[in-house]
Amino acid sequence: MYVESFPQFSEWFLPGLLLFLAVILSGAVLGLFFGYLVAAFRHGPFEAFYVVAQVVAEAVPDFLHTSPRRVVAMARLAIKEALRRRVVLVTFAIFALTILFGSWFMGGGSEKPEQIYVNFVLWGTQMLVLLMGLLLSAFSLPDDIKNKTIYTVVTKPVRSTEIILGRMLGFATVGTLLLVLMGLISYFFVWRSLDHSHLLVGPSQTVAAFTAVDTETQRSTVTGKRVSQNALYEAATTRDNDHWHRLEIIADVRSAEDPKPDSQDVIRTIKRADGKIEYQRVMCLPVGNHTHPVTVTGEGDNAQITLGNSVGYFRARVPIYCSQLTFYNREGSPSKKGTNVGKESKRRGYVDGGSASNRSTLSRATFSFDNVRENRFPDLDFVPLDLTLGVYRSYKGDIEKRVIAGLQFESIADKPDVENKFISEVIEFETNEFAVQTLPVPKKIVGRVVAPDGSLVEEGAYDLFDDFAGENGKLLIVLSCRDINQYIGVGKSDAYLRGQDQAYWWNFLKGYIGIWCQLMIMIALGVALSTFLGSPLVMLSAVAVMIVGFNSVFIRKLAEVDEQGNLINEQGGGPIESFVRVVTQQNTMVELDTGFFDTIIEKLDYLLVSMLQMLTYLAPNFGQLNFSNYLVHGYAVDNNQLLIGIATTGAFLMGLTLLGYFCLKTREIAK
Amino acid sequence: MATDTPAPSPPSESTQTPGRLEQSNPDYDPNVVIEAQNLTKIYRDFWGRQKVRALNALDLEVRKGEIFGLLGPNGSGKSTTIKLMLGLLFPTSGRAIVLGQNATDVAKNERIGYLPEESYLYKFLNAEETLDFYGRLFDIPAKVRKERVQELIQLVGLEKAKRRQLREYSKGMTRRIGLAQALINDPELILLDEPTSGLDPLGTRDMKDMILKLRDQGKTVVMCSHLLADVEDVCDRIAILFQGDLKEMGRVDSLLKVSGETQITAENIPESAHEEIRQLIAKHGGQNVVVDNPRTTLEDLFLNIVRESEDRPGMRPAGAAAEKKPSSDQTH
Repeated sequence: MYVESFPQFSEWFLPGLLLFLAVILSGAVLGLFFGYLVAAFRHGPFEAFYVVAQVVAEAVPDFLHTSPRRVVAMARLAIKEALRRRVVLVTFAIFALTILFGSWFMGGGSEKPEQIYVNFVLWGTQMLVLLMGLLLSAFSLPDDIKNKTIYTVVTKPVRSTEIILGRMLGFATVGTLLLVLMGLISYFFVWRSLDHSHLLVGPSQTVAAFTAVDTETQRSTVTGKRVSQNALYEAATTRDNDHWHRLEIIADVRSAEDPKPDSQDVIRTIKRADGKIEYQRVMCLPVGNHTHPVTVTGEGDNAQITLGNSVGYFRARVPIYCSQLTFYNREGSPSKKGTNVGKESKRRGYVDGGSASNRSTLSRATFSFDNVRENRFPDLDFVPLDLTLGVYRSYKGDIEKRVIAGLQFESIADKPDVENKFISEVIEFETNEFAVQTLPVPKKIVGRVVAPDGSLVEEGAYDLFDDFAGENGKLLIVLSCRDINQYIGVGKSDAYLRGQDQAYWWNFLKGYIGIWCQLMIMIALGVALSTFLGSPLVMLSAVAVMIVGFNSVFIRKLAEVDEQGNLINEQGGGPIESFVRVVTQQNTMVELDTGFFDTIIEKLDYLLVSMLQMLTYLAPNFGQLNFSNYLVHGYAVDNNQLLIGIATTGAFLMGLTLLGYFCLKTREIAK
Repeated sequence: MATDTPAPSPPSESTQTPGRLEQSNPDYDPNVVIEAQNLTKIYRDFWGRQKVRALNALDLEVRKGEIFGLLGPNGSGKSTTIKLMLGLLFPTSGRAIVLGQNATDVAKNERIGYLPEESYLYKFLNAEETLDFYGRLFDIPAKVRKERVQELIQLVGLEKAKRRQLREYSKGMTRRIGLAQALINDPELILLDEPTSGLDPLGTRDMKDMILKLRDQGKTVVMCSHLLADVEDVCDRIAILFQGDLKEMGRVDSLLKVSGETQITAENIPESAHEEIRQLIAKHGGQNVVVDNPRTTLEDLFLNIVRESEDRPGMRPAGAAAEKKPSSDQTH
């Protein structure tokens, strides 16, 4: 998953509202026209005007006089119906069974079991509650109409709005309660399933379980992989929850004046000949995202080593993305997409490392960050910068050698003509190609201060927040490629500063708010459709809308057309042309014979594709409300996305209520 | 089309707020509760083709405080008329004014009670919940609503079954709770669709008594039925429909009065006097004289037996009812 543009709620809201109003208005015009046609068919063209006008005139008081008391009464009925028809009970029973036995089939051998667990509970909950919402809402009103129980309701002073809203409210209440219950159980389940500890493998839980590390090869005797710097001994833990950890004793050498390490993992303290003190500390190496805190009771050979409960599974990282990414080409002039290395990636631009003949390259990518304030970042000695860089190698070179990139920090002056500028030295690092790497950016960076005319003012170590980000909180990070003939690819979402983690429960709640929004739309959709369709048709249409909703991005891409009406992404044309090609066995590269039929096929395809496009905008974008990816990968759900999701849900609820109201109002209840 | 003087309406002050038409229409007569003007209903299929003409240009007026019966065989348009009055169906042409408001106006329902043909109620609710639910749809204070729920349950005799879900109810019980829900708002106008269908004779009698009691309270009742005896027993005025057309309308007593025949009823006349009476009538020119004992109705016989049995449980000698009133004679 990647997000290339991050609309702010405040920027999104007004255009969104205008679009919503435009859709409602055009829907109303279409509805009136369609209503008039039907009325004209039934009553004649003149009487039809009167009929349509009456419906419109009655709608206003119907909405104005909608009584909360009656809505609540209808909602209470809907709740009783939902509970006594046992749909909720059955849904919960299925959920409980899945949770009880689900863990038997999950997590086996994975390094990141939390991803599987969180994915499972979110996906399962989502599907179950959506299905329940659909079943409740699709059967309720059609059953009432079929059993004629609606006769006794509509002959009371109940307005159509109250019938629609009452049902929605009732089912929404039941759904919300069930979702809360499922959420709590899921949270407990995931936490309980992942919580574990290990014992040391060896004769005792002491230093006797450790073996010395081969100082020459610096490689582990257990895994054969390189050990950590300063590692002296290593040991292994028992296998629990399908994994085990490697433990190391590392030497933490400090001068006598330095404070002692503030931890309980020191097993030996040795005074060295050079006067420094060596603290030998027991470290548990992480597996996936988690590790265990080590506690040493006592000191020396008999000290007991205990591993605590797992930590690090539940994270809600807060990425702070740049507001603007700019590429510069070899000559130093801005270019839109960076150096072209062919069709490697649509979203990444490439930074050129220069060539053997011309080593001086000005090619770089600059990320401008806003609002870089100290209080947004964790209380550490460094600021974590997460990078996911792509690499394009124009010659093979040493395949094991990683490509070197450079980072430089600069201040962004509000008045560049007057203010001095802080520029850091280039910090070089090895790229971890196509995988996330975290660079610890020190809070004190060596650099220089440059006057507006380019002359050097002073050199020294400057503070990242106070000096570089300064008062305006703006920071420029410049990425360059330090290896000649190599290219480094980066997109806007590939680099972010990692802020202070959010509370996990809050992130989990946000994920469930996404599911809740989906549920609300589903219920409203079911109720609105059931005002004019029978239950099976409601089910079918709602499932169709759901499928389109979950895949709207894909369908939109599939149906993308350029100005001439030609499909952009797909070769071989639209549905009809593709069908013709399949039947006539023509491959996708050959142009169809131009002629009368070809024109008809093209026009029909264009019509179909446009309809498909429209459908994706009419169907709720469920993908937009699905935050499970954030939770699974341990990122905080973006608040803007959440707000946009909630506002979109509100818009759909309003639209569907209107649709349901007019359909119920204009239909004859009795047969 | 037959017309007749409507029943005199009892002077009752309406405490309800007048409808919109009442305020705006100068021709509005507060004594006219229902007015149908040229009311026509044509059922169509999906394609708009005419399937059946259920009601044809019906003109009708129901006045305050009367029991009005719609009579006709199955498919004559009785239920359609009632559904049009309630706004459950939209007229193809013409219009229906109920309590001074258009039939499709929801506001009129505040003052209406409706018992459908079969009691279409939520089977997953019990009697108390059912009445409470319908009560909440009206603007009644919670305290009054609770009291009224208990009163109505008592009125229809369902105290023992008030906590049972309606799915467990017999047909008669369902009709009773159906009537109770129609009365939850103390309506001015009550529309009853086949009120006695599915009830045993005792229940039928109770229902009829209830309808008469409602009339005595100043309420207007419109009922439709094809059970002629029931209609005859309770209705002040009737309209007879056949295949969507109004065939006859008027007061029941004047419609049923057979002019040219005289009926004399007396008790304790011995058999020997019959001949004498016959001669006397013949002397005055009377023809086709019949002198015999009158017959009671099966309904009366049944009700007498049941009521007696309630007082004196146990075996009862057959023919006891016939012996009870041996000497009533009747002459035509």
